Amino acid sequence: MTMLSDIKFAFRTLVKNPKFTALTVFVMTTGLTLCIYMYSFIQGTLTAPLPFEQGKQIRKIDSIYNGMEYNGPSVRIHDFDDLKKRVQSYDVFDAYDDGIVNISTSDRAFRYIGHYVKASFFEISEAKPLLGRLLTDQDGEPGAESVVLIGESIWKSLFASDQNVLGKKLRVNSIQRTVVGVMPASYQFPGSGRVWLPFISSSKGVARADGDYVAVYGVLKKDVTDEQANSELKTIMAELEQTHPKLNSNRTAQIRTMQAALMGNGTPVIAFAMQLSVGFILLLACINVGNLLLSRAFEKSKEIAIRTALGAPRGKLISQMMWESTLISSISGILAILLAGLWLENSNKNLITTFPFEPPFWWNVALSESSVIAAMVIIGITALVTGLLPAYKATGEDVNSGLRDGTRGAQSKSVGRLSKLIVISEVVLSCALLLLSTGMVYSVHQQNQFDYGVEVEGYLTARIVLPEVEYDSNEKLLQYYQSMRTALQQERGVEAVSFIRSLPSENASSQNISIDGVDYGKKPQYPSVSSVTVAHNYFETMEVNLLEGRTFDLRDKLDSPLTAVVTQNFVKKHFKGNKVVGKRFKFIGNDKGWYTIIGVVNNVLHGQPTPANIEKQTVFVSLQQTPLRSISLVIKAAQEPEELRSMLDHISLSVERDAPAYNIKTLRASITERNSGMNFVSELFLIFSAASMVLAFSGIYGVMSNTIIQKTQEIGVRRALGANKGDIFTHFIKQSVKQLAIGLTIGVPLGIALVAMMEKTSLAQGSMILYIAVPTFISLVILLAVIYPVHRELKFEPCKALRSE
Amino acid sequence: MSALIKLTNVKKVFSTDEVETHALSDINLEIQKGEYISISGPSGCGKSTLLSLLGLLDTCSGGSYILNTHQAVDISTKQRAAIRNKEIGFVFQSFNLISDLTVSENVALPLTYRKDLNKQQRIEMVKEALEKVDMGHRTKHFPSQLSGGQQQRVAVARAIAGNPSIILADEPTGNLDSKNAELVMALLDKLHAEGKTICMVTHDPRGAKRAERIIEVFDGRVVSDSRVLQVKSEEAVA
Repeated sequence: MTMLSDIKFAFRTLVKNPKFTALTVFVMTTGLTLCIYMYSFIQGTLTAPLPFEQGKQIRKIDSIYNGMEYNGPSVRIHDFDDLKKRVQSYDVFDAYDDGIVNISTSDRAFRYIGHYVKASFFEISEAKPLLGRLLTDQDGEPGAESVVLIGESIWKSLFASDQNVLGKKLRVNSIQRTVVGVMPASYQFPGSGRVWLPFISSSKGVARADGDYVAVYGVLKKDVTDEQANSELKTIMAELEQTHPKLNSNRTAQIRTMQAALMGNGTPVIAFAMQLSVGFILLLACINVGNLLLSRAFEKSKEIAIRTALGAPRGKLISQMMWESTLISSISGILAILLAGLWLENSNKNLITTFPFEPPFWWNVALSESSVIAAMVIIGITALVTGLLPAYKATGEDVNSGLRDGTRGAQSKSVGRLSKLIVISEVVLSCALLLLSTGMVYSVHQQNQFDYGVEVEGYLTARIVLPEVEYDSNEKLLQYYQSMRTALQQERGVEAVSFIRSLPSENASSQNISIDGVDYGKKPQYPSVSSVTVAHNYFETMEVNLLEGRTFDLRDKLDSPLTAVVTQNFVKKHFKGNKVVGKRFKFIGNDKGWYTIIGVVNNVLHGQPTPANIEKQTVFVSLQQTPLRSISLVIKAAQEPEELRSMLDHISLSVERDAPAYNIKTLRASITERNSGMNFVSELFLIFSAASMVLAFSGIYGVMSNTIIQKTQEIGVRRALGANKGDIFTHFIKQSVKQLAIGLTIGVPLGIALVAMMEKTSLAQGSMILYIAVPTFISLVILLAVIYPVHRELKFEPCKALRSE
Repeated sequence: MSALIKLTNVKKVFSTDEVETHALSDINLEIQKGEYISISGPSGCGKSTLLSLLGLLDTCSGGSYILNTHQAVDISTKQRAAIRNKEIGFVFQSFNLISDLTVSENVALPLTYRKDLNKQQRIEMVKEALEKVDMGHRTKHFPSQLSGGQQQRVAVARAIAGNPSIILADEPTGNLDSKNAELVMALLDKLHAEGKTICMVTHDPRGAKRAERIIEVFDGRVVSDSRVLQVKSEEAVA
């Protein structure tokens, strides 16, 4: 037979068995789709390379303070200057800053993310302007003309794509700036900025304690590894800690890729778990299809024996049988590529609409060339794995026994062993996978149900950043809050208005404190707390319970003694639950002085509901005493909060034309968005759980059913010897219990280990319920997979079973 | 002698959607305790179906069947299983030993379904049965490690282990060479000599002649029921 006739024969066989073909294609498509999707998703996001020549060498330098990793501008400018003088591992080592930029016209104001950058920033990111020029280091020098580089979208919306835009003026954060260039829409490095301004932060003439925090990046020298650079960084930071113990105590830094900095350090673990999960699913699919093909191959053992008797060489028989698996894998592969492509397209839309931030420009959630090549490799390997073993086993049978009827000896024993091995593998893989997936789904469900310590429904929130040039004093800031509150409270549907630095679910600022009367020794290790600045009516507006003392009121003013309200966690940790009203603490590295605790409230969660955040101690300080330019506004609505959106938009501009309210959304939506990444991962794992359940069930059922069909004659013999139906059920259940026990003995600890690994990312949570439910579910699957086929076999009289071949 | 088996007007009809096949019709048959019977006839005549009905491996479509005073028609599958276990020993053409079980486990198999035996009793019964067929030295072997003749001897041991009322043998030498076939037939002769009731289906005339009574089946009916002595006389005349 030629190869073409082999293919034709395999195709005809598949067409003749539509149920078998549909089942194998379904199983394989499920496994391959998940695998291709996950590979493409990870390649396109978590591990996507920066598309620059030096992309592989670009690193972000971030602070670690009190063990907490910070992203964004997190390095004090003075520390940056010291680092820049001493680091040896980089070709480029520089700083930039991020910030909210308000651009206002005569009748409107717009809010954008802006980057304050130096020339090197554009060099490493290979920036080329659409019009005009890039920013230079001279643009940031004192006395230089105020300039701005705008993105294509601003050019289109504010200047109607005017080719003569260069030299025109734009009011940016209350300052008139000259447009010197337009950047293409495709340029968004490192985030989703649309405005670029000269970097002006400096340590010159600024006390170290008052220094700005900046984002630091570097381009590693080609012969320097991350470990070497990290080691150098930590050594310098340790030296700075010695030199400036007050400000740098418990402060170090780390280098990360831009991708890791954006997604957090848990990303590699999540990516690993995702890849492992889809790997398990694909393996399950391969085992299932391989088993189905093996069963088919044994059904054809007589045909194979005839072909062998007629002189067909084994290699030829194997290659002929392999075409079947190749066709199944190819059909499944094509379907999987199409489905994965559609799914990726859908995910891309979801990422844009539901994520709290704009996805980085280097993300490409789509089927890329490398994904398709990887898919082809996966399909090829799958075809080989699923086809080769069954073909090899089936063609290894003794020709004589194949030609004789009803003789089953060593062959059936080896097949029996293989079936047992397959069932054990299926139990191990499905158990581990189900524990991991359900652990993640359970954890995210728990987190979504978490009580944030405030009322969540019925609030509209927004962010406001007041321009520095206009709001250069505390009095002006306080006046703004008062004007805004008064204006909003006059509107219908507004019940109360308050302000807070970080909304519940947003990360709060972490600061070290020193409690009055506590001796922290010569090498002090100060405790760290979350510090949140709130308006005096915040607790009442958000329905936070006062447990002791009082909350802020109009007595807490700029010139009155500093006061603070603390949470239950704070009292428990630092005062062992004793009375704390009247006790004092101060922030380290802040010369404001002692804060007197005036009250205790229930715990309020800032950040995602991870165990670390839940345990955090929080101190609230008064906005009246510490006014801020960047603040969140909270409106308690007497009606549907969304209906107040346009009113808020209008009022915010009428109170301050250069400070439009942005991120206007309900508190519930805000929390949901913040958890969207977690929910997205959880949804993926929900799909993995469903897929693993379907594959495990179909696989285990397939193997057990096939095993029992092969034992039809044995069932007949046992019944002839007097076994009743109960005896037969008991016999097969006992046999499967052994396989189940072995599978669970390996699968449960493996699953628990995977959950423990993921617990570090707070994305998975082990639970005794799951540790019982998952093995129980698998046991039920096995039970069902035994009972149904045995029941089917028992429908016939024993004489029929005895005659079966 | 009292009748161990009594079939009256037994029939067996196999029905498919379109065709009704009368495999057996009006079978009237009595088998006495201690008899050695062979059922013979051409392929497809219904002899194996008759053996299946006798062994309660299948149900009659009509008529009555009494086995050792038990009414064997219109009874539950559980009752049939219990009767098979206690009253009947099977020897099959293709041995039908379970490949995953050792020789002694195979022989013990029918005994494991009996609630009235303890482990020690089962061990002794297995040992006794294997010694009767001269296979006591192969207890730990698996079927695949035995020759065809040895496997059939183990199958005979399994059939007699529970001391059944009757041994039903379906072409017991069909898969054996002449030497092993002779050994197995000699074994059945020995069991008969010890008082066992044996009913054997065979189309081998030499095997059939070893029985003391030959029942011939043709087209689903008993066409001849004769003592071997008579057959021998007829052969002499011919």
